[in-house]
Amino acid sequence: MQLSALLPMLTAELSLAEKGISSAKVILTGFVVVFAVLLLLIMIIKIYSAIVSKAQSTGLRTKKKSAVPDKPKSAETKVKIVREQQPAEAQTDGIPEEVIAVISAAVATMYGGKDKVRIKSVKKSGSKRSAWANAGVIENTRPF
Amino acid sequence: MEILTGFLDAVKGIFYSSGLVNLNWQNYAMIAISCVLLYLAIKKQYEPLLLLPIAFGMLLVNLYPEIMSPPSVELLTQQQADAAGFNTAGHASQVINGVTYFENPTYGGLLYYLYQGVKLGIYPPLIFLGIGCMTDFGPLIANPKSLILGAAAQIGIFITFTGAIFLGFTEAEAGAIGIIGGADGPTAIYVTTKLAPHLLGSIAIAAYSYMALVPIIQPPIMKLLTTKKERSVVMEQLRPVSKLEKILFPIIVVILIAIFLPDAAPLVGMLMLGNLFKESGVVDRIAKAAQNELMNIITIFLGTTVGATASGTNFLKLDTIKIIVLGLIAFCMGTAFGVLFGKLMYKFTGGKINPLIGSAGVSAVPMAARVSQKVGQQENPGNFLLMHAMGPNVAGVIGSAVAAGVLLNVVG
Repeated sequence: MQLSALLPMLTAELSLAEKGISSAKVILTGFVVVFAVLLLLIMIIKIYSAIVSKAQSTGLRTKKKSAVPDKPKSAETKVKIVREQQPAEAQTDGIPEEVIAVISAAVATMYGGKDKVRIKSVKKSGSKRSAWANAGVIENTRPF
Repeated sequence: MEILTGFLDAVKGIFYSSGLVNLNWQNYAMIAISCVLLYLAIKKQYEPLLLLPIAFGMLLVNLYPEIMSPPSVELLTQQQADAAGFNTAGHASQVINGVTYFENPTYGGLLYYLYQGVKLGIYPPLIFLGIGCMTDFGPLIANPKSLILGAAAQIGIFITFTGAIFLGFTEAEAGAIGIIGGADGPTAIYVTTKLAPHLLGSIAIAAYSYMALVPIIQPPIMKLLTTKKERSVVMEQLRPVSKLEKILFPIIVVILIAIFLPDAAPLVGMLMLGNLFKESGVVDRIAKAAQNELMNIITIFLGTTVGATASGTNFLKLDTIKIIVLGLIAFCMGTAFGVLFGKLMYKFTGGKINPLIGSAGVSAVPMAARVSQKVGQQENPGNFLLMHAMGPNVAGVIGSAVAAGVLLNVVG
């Protein structure tokens, strides 16, 4: 009889003691390894969280310090902003105010609060494609 | 007359190749079971995204078993080939005992080829890639202690292994059955394909059924093991987690687990790659593709082909009933150990942790966390445990992948 034919018979005839040993081995290994790996993960997460938060808080402090002498500058910027808040009326090409508001909000979102952006004019596009179709084209042709 | 004979022969041929002649009673029983599962998926909406393709795969294979048959090669002599009208030109031949045989290859069934992704362990890690893109590890990073609950809920896996061994299963089969307790479909399939592929149909169906039944199975165990006071604990709000921490997390986890437990690397690696796609914020298109198109396509292939492994002769056995019972025990034990460890943490933290979040340590994301939230709100409607339970819940995904690695290593 070949050995390969014997093998299933042997595994099928595990004695009670062998079954007990095999189960105890798996339970113990499983329990210890799963807990050990996850406890190690807990430690590592705690350590790197502490490092990251420390690095970020020192980063913030240095930013704050460097921001102090800039105060007069920021006052100047404010004036500028005030001046810029009264621009010449933008050309709206007969587009409803609500749509202009949405476009302005979208532009502000894209450029963020820091950059000063002024919308000079909004014109209807000549394209016959709908806005959704345009969005689809942009989505599919944007490079990686 | 010749036309009539030809017609009758054709009708006879169609009749003899039809299911009316070729199917046995097991196939018909499985067709009935698959119709019940289709009903549960469509009408009751029990995990329909998986149950529907699984049930349909089951239906298909029992109606037409050849759909899962592997490719084969038939050897024909020149005479046999002539009789069968088979043109031997261009076909490979071999000489056995002085007789030339021509090879007539037969291609495998459609689902056989799609099943290779399951058999070779390709689909489950790809599903994990998509899951990684959808998972927010923030609650876990904010409260790393919840990893203990994710580990505790895996104890059921190893205890069920013992039960399976004593019920007469081999070590490898017992490992595959135990993993049902992890309540993680892709992990269960991955481990089963490596340890006991012949049990795949019953284990996958048991795993997904229990995942769908989480809201029914877990609450009684949770209520039984906790007091009203423990269930009413309102937990402190989690700290905000910075983007840098979220980006570092998948990288650190994959390095750690792949080094210590390489067998878990395919699952954990793909999970963390998906998560890095999401958290890095620089590959939005890939993240979207992985969690939508890729995951949906793989789900179709995985579900249908796993269902197709449940042919009547394979599935209708006493072993299947044993697997379903053992799977239920594994799942209940996972829940119970999660809650019990939650109670331990409640004691150690002086009542700051609600033990109900422990049950979410079985991975079924996000259903198990929702159950913790729901049971907690039954005691105190103003209590929001969901985000706290998401910690152990995603820890459970990592925990069951680690447990899978242990099983593959020890009994594989």
